Amino acid sequence: MANISKTLESLEMQTTLVKKQPSSLKLNFLKEIGSNKRARYSLFFLLLVILIGVFAPLLAPHDPEKPYYEALLHGPSKEHLLGTDSIGRDLLSRLLYGIRATLTAASIAVAITFTIGTFIGLISAYIGGIIDNILMRIMDVLLALPTIVLALAIVAILGPSLANAMIAVGFASIPGFARITRGAALTIKSSGFVEASRSIGSSHSWILLRQFLPNIGGVLLVYTTLFIGVAILDTAALSFIGLGAQPPTPEWGTMLAEGKNYIYQAWWLATFPGLAITSVVFSVNFLGDALRDMFDPKSMGR
Amino acid sequence: MGQFILNRILSGIIVIFGISVFSFLLIHFIPGDPVKIMLGQNATPEAIKQLNENLGLDKPLLVQYTTYITNVLQGDFGTSLKTGRPVITEILDRFPETVKLAAAGIFIAIVIGITLGIIAARFKSSFIDSGVMMLATLGVSIPSFWLAILLIMVFSVKFTWFPIAEGTGLRDLVLPAVTIGVLASTMISRLTRNGMVETLSNDFIRTARAKGLEERIILFRHALRNVLIPVVTLIGLQMAALLGGTVIIEQVFNWPGLGTLAIGAISSRDFPLIQGTVLFMGVVYVMINILIDVIYGIIDPRIDLSAKEAR
Repeated sequence: MANISKTLESLEMQTTLVKKQPSSLKLNFLKEIGSNKRARYSLFFLLLVILIGVFAPLLAPHDPEKPYYEALLHGPSKEHLLGTDSIGRDLLSRLLYGIRATLTAASIAVAITFTIGTFIGLISAYIGGIIDNILMRIMDVLLALPTIVLALAIVAILGPSLANAMIAVGFASIPGFARITRGAALTIKSSGFVEASRSIGSSHSWILLRQFLPNIGGVLLVYTTLFIGVAILDTAALSFIGLGAQPPTPEWGTMLAEGKNYIYQAWWLATFPGLAITSVVFSVNFLGDALRDMFDPKSMGR
Repeated sequence: MGQFILNRILSGIIVIFGISVFSFLLIHFIPGDPVKIMLGQNATPEAIKQLNENLGLDKPLLVQYTTYITNVLQGDFGTSLKTGRPVITEILDRFPETVKLAAAGIFIAIVIGITLGIIAARFKSSFIDSGVMMLATLGVSIPSFWLAILLIMVFSVKFTWFPIAEGTGLRDLVLPAVTIGVLASTMISRLTRNGMVETLSNDFIRTARAKGLEERIILFRHALRNVLIPVVTLIGLQMAALLGGTVIIEQVFNWPGLGTLAIGAISSRDFPLIQGTVLFMGVVYVMINILIDVIYGIIDPRIDLSAKEAR
């Protein structure tokens, strides 16, 4: 299968990315991020969001699950800065607590994608031959289904819950990630030093962990970052259609689904959770783009 | 050429076979007794036994798969547990609505994407360029369902120009199609811009400029044509992805397409219907992919279709 869409972008970057010196990845990495304005700003914003999520109990003005029956569907006011929902819960507090669900879901989903995707990609590229063929055929089959459909199918098996939604989103992104890893790893394989290592008796696992991984680190970092954005969007989407986080859990997708029922009376309910998702995903993607420029000078300024 | 098409069809068939195995296995991945889950808490033992027999779940896997695939090849995707109608009828009832939505969305995406891409490339490195690229990043960051809600709040609630989730007429089509179009346009505009910037730095463009040609002619006649091939491919792929990817948008607008069908099936644990929609979406995606590859080869003579290394 020609999965042109998935490879369009990655193709050109793999070739240049991979050839960068491994040492520049480790030592100058933080320095490079620090010197890049876009990366710095987006990282700062994301760290801030994470901190707010961690300290939500201290920062939230109200209990996110406590209904104020005297304040149903109240608009933004001094008491409730972003208004209240249909059973009088404070929207701002729910939003702050929602960071936890959103970021946990995204990190677990991406952890699944990264671990299994990298493993399959590396094994496929390194061993090659029939193993490579079988693994990539399976990936092709899964890539033939849109990610969200694949995630839906997995949720259908596991049943709707936030935990299952993150597992589904994580697994659904594996085929794409495995293909990217394989593509990057193949260019390492064809360079001479792997063969040289083998000839002096290095073990397979040493080569994979010490030679492949660090060298494709740049590609993996860029794509992992971009996949975080996708994971946040997809888990929120699953929650939105009722197949992810279940009420009364404060989760942004679920909150939007609730807000959708009150668009006539309470615009704030369907506005602020969306704004929250968009700003977080936007800064993740912004960071991803900045990283891509840093690790792929060829695409810079294009 | 013939050889190439044959190869593409063969590999397509392999993938479709894989999808059929995947959709078949779905029911077997369910933890616990799938029949009990499908029928719910209050199922009588007779009903459970009956469904077990109907689905053939008591037979060996290979036998089950053979029966499944034989039926599918004859157009029998099973029966919906909820409505009792054949799965294929349910799907074919909904499919045209999804095609309608995806086609309208892609049309809007093409208009917005190519226009913005050309403008950004024309004013490369200016604030217009960075503005358009910023919009493109925003487009991949905004949840589709939120954009949909925002459009509803502005154009249906505030201005009441368009109805909310009523039917499938032209006026109902506008908002969901715009949502899809705006989001799908982001990749098109990026690709168009990058392609245009690259093409505009070529020698033949400098020659054209030196000849004193109008900028308009250079942009549209000389540059755009060169950029269109990858853009057309991307559009085709997006079209294919959209046929399954309108799921969430359909849900927001209550659009009676494949997406709402699939979500409904999952919520009511109607597994024959889930299997059917997954298989159907996969097959459609593969077929469109093959079509794109073939068309791609025809419109770009530089591609040697017989070359094996090209894939």
